[in-house]
Amino acid sequence: MTAVQTAPSLPVSDPRDPEDRLQRFFDPGSVQALVPRDTSGVHAARGTVGGTPAIAYCTDATVMGGAMGVDGCRHVVDAIDTALRERLPVVGIWHSGGARLAEGVTALHAVGEVFAAMVRASGRIPQVSVVLGPAAGGAAYGPALTDLVIMGPAGRVFVTGPDVVRSVTGEDVDMESLGGPDTHGRRSGVVHVVTDSEDAALATGRQAVDLLAAQGKFASVRDEPDVELRALLPEQTNRAYDVRPLVAGVLDGPVLELHPRWAPNVVTTLGRLAGRTVGVIANNPLRLGGCLDSASAEKAARFVRMCDAFGVPLVVLVDVPGYLPGVGQEWDGVVRRGAKLLHAFGEAVVPRVTLVTRKAYGGAYIAMNARALGATTVFAWPGAEVAVMGAKAAVGILHRKKLAAAPPGEREALHARLAEEHERIAGGVNRALQIGVVDEVVEPRRTRRRLVEALTAAPAGRGAHGNIPL
Amino acid sequence: MAVEEIHAEMVSSVHKVLVEAGSQVTAGDTLVVLESMKMEIPVLTERSGTVRELHVVEGEVLQEGDLIAVVDA
Repeated sequence: MTAVQTAPSLPVSDPRDPEDRLQRFFDPGSVQALVPRDTSGVHAARGTVGGTPAIAYCTDATVMGGAMGVDGCRHVVDAIDTALRERLPVVGIWHSGGARLAEGVTALHAVGEVFAAMVRASGRIPQVSVVLGPAAGGAAYGPALTDLVIMGPAGRVFVTGPDVVRSVTGEDVDMESLGGPDTHGRRSGVVHVVTDSEDAALATGRQAVDLLAAQGKFASVRDEPDVELRALLPEQTNRAYDVRPLVAGVLDGPVLELHPRWAPNVVTTLGRLAGRTVGVIANNPLRLGGCLDSASAEKAARFVRMCDAFGVPLVVLVDVPGYLPGVGQEWDGVVRRGAKLLHAFGEAVVPRVTLVTRKAYGGAYIAMNARALGATTVFAWPGAEVAVMGAKAAVGILHRKKLAAAPPGEREALHARLAEEHERIAGGVNRALQIGVVDEVVEPRRTRRRLVEALTAAPAGRGAHGNIPL
Repeated sequence: MAVEEIHAEMVSSVHKVLVEAGSQVTAGDTLVVLESMKMEIPVLTERSGTVRELHVVEGEVLQEGDLIAVVDA
């Protein structure tokens, strides 16, 4: 909660001017101030985003570096409560050194009230943060409490600035390595989307508001030309590939991938399917072979809960070899953090459809929205495998003695034959259909249509819970 | 000049090496193919440039974090 930088008041043409930033965020001509411009360090307004009404507040970096005191915090709380009352999305634009030092504990108390307002609104209205400059201390935890955090190139988020770090621990670090786009986009997971310009950050904020607050309805896809998705997967089943083209292929148009560089072995994307907003969760075999691990399970769990809170239906694309094994993962809390994903899917009431494209093995099979966790529908592509583990590994254990007894020259052939047999009775998609854990085998080019039909047929639900930043 | 260090993300063995020191690469090119979790996992460069250092040979077992290559963009 430390003020990092203070700057003298500057003329209105300053690019950090909050009125200017709010003008650039909202649709042209739509901005109406919620409060008269003052020296509180915060400005707030209502306006529209692609025609959708929204509220936004913006810290005023032209006054004391955007540091927040009692009056500024009051504006933020009022903006959030107004949005909550009117059921509108609320956007925070951040450039602030944190609590005003000169106001002492009174300012800390006021910042605490901002946090309380954010928690009150959590899961009830979409809250989006756009970090355009340093956001320190209280200004760091503000964005962190919201649903989505977008960071421009000059964005910095940290609890304490470089000067304090140096004086307390002796560590010499600059603002960018401490809390810049790489730190939070790749390592900490604080930031969902990093952009390469301030305008792109504001545009991404608009895209997020549009996707969450103007979700639309599924259009009929009966007349849609077939989309060939199979070609996006390699022919060899043991070859890894980037799943993102498949995610894009399932969705309509421009997509918003969240946390693209953090825990990239699972991909979480907001986009539209036949016109309606959906959330897609997909294993990415290109990274860690697509294994789930502690960070990716947590990332996916938070995404599932956010979508559930706002009534965004889910599409789960499964190609997972299992949980990443090893002591590093156990120390990292893969059991505790993996449990979050089971919990998130298990409690979700939005329509949620699973598609197994290639394979679903072991515990990770369950975690990826399996039938047992209440999936609306489970589809599989022809040839997909649902099993405890790969057939070859399974018979290696089940028939260990038989294999050991075989003459060395015949062992490999026997192993292959046993694996084939095993797959037929235990791992193939037919067995999964028989026991009802897969509902239907769907051709890749009919996938979009069947996804829409399944999601449309399910009762629309919306989870009654907040969106704790897991 | 930007430099990209490419590290192993997981315990794996080196299945194939597709470049050598001095190779020109473009963003998205596969440098090596690792094998782990019974899968062949390509390791791509995020930048275009020259492979300055290559630290692995086929068959070698890598630990998480081991340096695979350095690319000068």
